[in-house]
Amino acid sequence: MPDIFISEEKKEPEKAVTESTPVEKEVKEILGKTLIKKEVKSLIASYLRNPKGVNFEIKEKQEKIELLLRMHPITNVKWILISIIMIIAPVVLKSFPILDFLPGNYQFIVILGWYLIVTSFVFESFLTWYFNVYIITDERIIDVDFYNLIYKDISTAEVERIQDVSYRMGGVVRTLFNYGDVFIQTAAEKPNFEFLAVPKPDKVVKLLQDLMIQEKQEAIEGRVR
Amino acid sequence: MGNIIFPNFPTWGIAKAFVLFGMAMYVIFGFVMVRQVKLMTDTLQLGFESMIKIFSYAHLLFTIAVFIFALIIL
Repeated sequence: MPDIFISEEKKEPEKAVTESTPVEKEVKEILGKTLIKKEVKSLIASYLRNPKGVNFEIKEKQEKIELLLRMHPITNVKWILISIIMIIAPVVLKSFPILDFLPGNYQFIVILGWYLIVTSFVFESFLTWYFNVYIITDERIIDVDFYNLIYKDISTAEVERIQDVSYRMGGVVRTLFNYGDVFIQTAAEKPNFEFLAVPKPDKVVKLLQDLMIQEKQEAIEGRVR
Repeated sequence: MGNIIFPNFPTWGIAKAFVLFGMAMYVIFGFVMVRQVKLMTDTLQLGFESMIKIFSYAHLLFTIAVFIFALIIL
């Protein structure tokens, strides 16, 4: 007698390809943490060799960023300390009747306004540090400065126009944290470039000297871009 | 509300006007800051533009909120 109904063999559901084993999960977690750490590190880094994802307004297509510099993070300690004092000041001053002559609602607005000023101060200080950068590409050096609120000053000089490079490091803090000032004399429109309080000034000077030699070689070989 | 020497002098009314004027100035400052961040992020792309922009807008919202709050409770 022919079978009228044959039940299908039960198949075990295939494991999803995307499902990962505990070991894989652990690896992913570690990788994720490392990536986050790297991102945070690059956020506060002040010496970035061959940085990725960095671009600037006047960058040329073939230009390659060799080094991105900003002031050493330790230089931020001053405004961070001031901010902490500003944050805790209303709490400390609560025990002194300074604002007692004001009605309650005015006192509240004064404190809110104070924290508004603190927020602005912190944000402004961070922006000033974060966006005032020095860039060294394979073709030129660029000094990006932001003054006050809406003024910016971008100076550039071709590497081949650099005449002299020197650096200065002195004092306990600078020696301890290995940062100093780099001075660059050029034959460009702006004769002096100062990279202030940058980390590893010796390495910066070495890189600039290497680039100068490279440019000279290119000029001799006629490979000028 | 007046003071002892001039009972009809609107001391707190003038104080409120000054506070609100200061807060209004601060709102303008908040806008300037947003503009500054835009200028900075247009000039340099360092990888954290969105976060910084969000913070600048949050700061602006904070200034506006404080202004409105002062307008209501004073």
